Amino acid sequence: MNASTRCLPLLALLGLLVSASANATDPATDAALLQRGQYLATAGDCVACHTAPGGKPYAGGLAVPTPIGNIIATNITPSKTAGIGNYTKQQFSDAVRKGIRADGKHLYPAMPYTAYAQVTDADVQALYAYFMHGVAPVERKPPPTRLPFPFNFRWYMAVWNGLFLDRKPFTPDPGKSADWNRGAYLVRGLTHCSTCHTPRNLLMAEESSRELAGGAAGPWLAPNITADANSGIGGWSEADLVAYMKLGHAAGRAQAAGPMAEAVDNSLQYLSTSDLQAIAIYLKAVPARHDPADTQPIDSWGAAFDGMAGQRGTALPDDANQWSGAQLYDAHCATCHQAKGEGSFDGGLPPLFHNTATGRTDADNLVLVILEGIRWTDASGVHMPGFAHELSDRQVATLANYLTQHYGNPSAKISAEQVKLLRAGGAPSYLVALARWAMAVVALLVLVIVVLWVRRRRRRTSPAQG
Amino acid sequence: MALDQLDSVSASRDDPSNPSRRRLLAGLLTAYTASLIPWALAQPAPSAERGAFTALSAILVGRQALDAAQATRLYDALATVHPRFPADARALLALINERHIDPLQLQGVLDDEQSPLAPLPRSIMRAWTLGVVGSGADAHCVAYETALDAVMVADVLKPPTYAYGTYGSWSSKPV
Amino acid sequence: MSGQLSADIVVIGAGIVGALAAERLARQGASVLILEAGPRLERARIVVAFRNSAFKGNWMAPYPPSPWAPHPIYVPKDNGYLVQAGPYPYPAEYIRAVGGTTWHWAAQAWRLVPNDVRIKSLYGVGVDWPLSYEELDPWYQEAEEILGVAGADNTGSPRLKPFPMEPVAEPWAMRRFRERLAPAYPVVANTVARNSRSYGGRPACVGNNSCQPICPINAQYLGINAVEAAETAGAKVVANAVAHRIEHDAKGRIAAVHYYDPDKGTHRVTGKTFILAANGIESPKLLLLSASDKYPDGLANSSGMVGRHLMDHPSTSLTFYADEELWLGRGPQSPSSINTLRDGAFRSRHAAYRLDFTNISQVLNVTNDLIKEGVYGPEFEKQLRWRAAHQVSVKNVLEVLPNPDNRITLSTEKDALGIPKPEAHYAIDDYTRQGAEVSKADFARIAELMGGTGLRYSADGQFANNQHITGTMSMGNDPATSVVDAFGRSHDHENLFICGTGVMPTAATMNSTLTAIALALRTAEHIMPAKTAHGIAAPADGEASLA
Repeated sequence: MNASTRCLPLLALLGLLVSASANATDPATDAALLQRGQYLATAGDCVACHTAPGGKPYAGGLAVPTPIGNIIATNITPSKTAGIGNYTKQQFSDAVRKGIRADGKHLYPAMPYTAYAQVTDADVQALYAYFMHGVAPVERKPPPTRLPFPFNFRWYMAVWNGLFLDRKPFTPDPGKSADWNRGAYLVRGLTHCSTCHTPRNLLMAEESSRELAGGAAGPWLAPNITADANSGIGGWSEADLVAYMKLGHAAGRAQAAGPMAEAVDNSLQYLSTSDLQAIAIYLKAVPARHDPADTQPIDSWGAAFDGMAGQRGTALPDDANQWSGAQLYDAHCATCHQAKGEGSFDGGLPPLFHNTATGRTDADNLVLVILEGIRWTDASGVHMPGFAHELSDRQVATLANYLTQHYGNPSAKISAEQVKLLRAGGAPSYLVALARWAMAVVALLVLVIVVLWVRRRRRRTSPAQG
Repeated sequence: MALDQLDSVSASRDDPSNPSRRRLLAGLLTAYTASLIPWALAQPAPSAERGAFTALSAILVGRQALDAAQATRLYDALATVHPRFPADARALLALINERHIDPLQLQGVLDDEQSPLAPLPRSIMRAWTLGVVGSGADAHCVAYETALDAVMVADVLKPPTYAYGTYGSWSSKPV
Repeated sequence: MSGQLSADIVVIGAGIVGALAAERLARQGASVLILEAGPRLERARIVVAFRNSAFKGNWMAPYPPSPWAPHPIYVPKDNGYLVQAGPYPYPAEYIRAVGGTTWHWAAQAWRLVPNDVRIKSLYGVGVDWPLSYEELDPWYQEAEEILGVAGADNTGSPRLKPFPMEPVAEPWAMRRFRERLAPAYPVVANTVARNSRSYGGRPACVGNNSCQPICPINAQYLGINAVEAAETAGAKVVANAVAHRIEHDAKGRIAAVHYYDPDKGTHRVTGKTFILAANGIESPKLLLLSASDKYPDGLANSSGMVGRHLMDHPSTSLTFYADEELWLGRGPQSPSSINTLRDGAFRSRHAAYRLDFTNISQVLNVTNDLIKEGVYGPEFEKQLRWRAAHQVSVKNVLEVLPNPDNRITLSTEKDALGIPKPEAHYAIDDYTRQGAEVSKADFARIAELMGGTGLRYSADGQFANNQHITGTMSMGNDPATSVVDAFGRSHDHENLFICGTGVMPTAATMNSTLTAIALALRTAEHIMPAKTAHGIAAPADGEASLA
């Protein structure tokens, strides 16, 4: 869905409402306010979670996978029966910035209220106006979230919030430029980059001292985007960063894939150039975090290499699992990425060397992009096909190793077992089992303490035996 | 200089690893052919036959550089298909050396004289420019992307099956 | 061991036509079985086979015939499968495999022009079709939406609804033709089953310039996409199943199809309705092979017309050097053409034609020329670059009139399974030759407008074949002179339908695949009306499949 199709319900509603009310300050007809709200909702990428695949915008239903189970996104259209149509502005603000729903229950931080806590009152007002008057109501309620014991008690979040939630909205730093402050407001707030890109502690809270030093989005690595020259984006220019967010790639460096491609497709590509520049300025000033494993910039590895030339004319083995890396490359990759991995003339079909896709020591993202491809929801559609149906785990591993060895970081090695795991959605989380064991241990300890105390009491009250 | 040295070279055995036997292309050429391919004088010539092939290739394709690994592959493929190839290559180089034949005249001269070497330049050209060795049902491919017909236009075209670029990129004027 | 299969609908031939008819019927809930003589293929293997081929100019090289289901091969030598009885060769190329011949088409998806169906009434030549252009229009539309056809409304074929996609981006070379030939010759974008944006879960074209023999990325719609759609809808495909006899009952209804597996094991497949879609040569061959006591001339052949009226689109061409650098080879292979000469009063005297501009890279041709000419030394590279940049070519696509003496019969020669090979009897008549002659003036004018030098006309009397096998099982209202009715139903066998280019009673001037598909969809509707609309074009969730 692109900005113009999202405007359609907005414009239709405006057309209806113009005749209904002549009050220029009525949020329902304040076109500028609604437009601003829509822009902010795009920046916040609300649609990414609150829309199911093939579903109506903001009607919820998407199951967001987390280590503690699937959290079902709610309907945030202004439907009074199925959505947030009855929410007051205060209730809307509390949900977005405090993670508390209208009935008082807590939201899980899969809803990034920890980031949206930074959003200013004025922006909340615009968002509220948009969601109440600019979004078409959908009268279907998605199924409720049911997390496994012991995470099905929402009041834990009150404790968790007490420990980890910073409730203060964003205040500008007078020692920094206006652009930096705008960037900080967006990055820490609506565009909520840290929810993926900042590492989390055992209780799944962001480690704010290691801002943007790298995290995860499902099985995908959300890489270090601090200003480190080797591990992060320190070597990138502002123009590189802006291009990446606007187009989904920075020529000669990196392409957005997986959840980041979705973020660009749904949200970042629609932000104004000045906002993207502000984000870039902020990112370039985030304290550098260096991983010693990165001995050179991750987009500096590899070189042009033709692995097929020496065997051109040799027929492919009948058993495709016997194909070498070069043969797999010939069959599936060379067509777009070219015989020497040099990419197309216009760079739009990117080179595979000097590319973060092959330059990381962790090759999980490389495997995932081979399996899933890159597909946008707009007319550009398929940017790269996925090969999950065509290639076995072993073939993907052979191919990925060929790519890292010749075009990327040769210390990145991939096994077929790793591919199998990634294909299934990543390593399973033991958090639920761990929590249950922990509770069992605590319960046992409590039981032991109680028994000991009861026995001690009994010894006190009964006279000493003989 | 060339002819008696060629004889002595031909008497030696192939031994590229032995430094005392290391020889350069320059040793196989007369002043005339050396003038055609000055860049190639320092190319290694592990044997008189391989050296002759490299020299002939350089003269025929008219390039300023030839990939040594590719030259080895093509020589091996040609020698497999035509058993007389190594001897013919030496003979043709000797002919060009001796008579100062311009590459553009070469085929005409060989055809006019009904020389048994007449098919040789075409074989060598097909190997380098089309990546094909042998003919008829026995023809087989030994190069495609690195075949010189692709290399010589690589700034403008990608070889068929390789993507030109993102959708619509072919609408622009070719540079 | 001989197995017994059965389905409501048995389709013979898993090409684009058979598969799309099967898909439509399977979607309505019919059980559908598709028998395909040849094997399953994999796109990636075909791409590598092309790159490894010593015969890059031969588009059949990546498709070696299988011993049990041979197809004609001519390079490096003629495998003699399609026997040529003459007087003029008919060197058809087709692929017997799951997905059929459209594995290596250029995706030219043309409609007829309205007068094409009435050349007898209008011009006194050929025959009239038993249906009107207006009746075909909605079926063309459905076919275009399934395939994803990109085009503009300027090619002479009226339409009720827009194309599903904008025309494919114009290569620079074609733009220069368009600009320099105007206003004398309007050059238009071809209507093609090639993605100008992501469509059907498949990517947009990225200019691989190898449409023939293979699109490496599935940006053009192939028969294999149709087969996959049919399988998704519930149809079952049996590969390596060489149908060799159609069996009928005492009343003349079709009862079963007999096929061989590669080891010549016999199998019998029963069904209620049968669709023969094995191409314009293999289908009549099968009908003739199925001769019985009741039908000594073969099935569906009371008219004696099975195999007759063999047609194609012969071509002659002009190659020349334009006076500016155009560099053919950037973008798809068949982007543009001239469509204003497809109809007119002249059709009573000589053949109409389209004029096609090629965008196939000239590098291979030029290299071969230079070696043949003995151009060696530094001059080789200079000439290669100059010629590859300047050399262009235009060809005609000529109409051939239906002539009963042009026909496919059974040869006395037999293939590896002991099945008689097809034999082609063919000649090109004055009607077509005169059209070729007239087109020379167009060639010359086009070259003049492009500042052409080095003009090389194709040899007089020599026509290239275009693989549009038409006419051999023509449709018509009169059972005495046609094989099937306007819905593709055999006049002789109530439950036998024929789909494919072979039912087209005249060839007109355009690539025939889209018309065959439109007719096949109409046939499928006639067999079982559709309750659900086609959903093939809607991008499905999940990744694009390249299989």
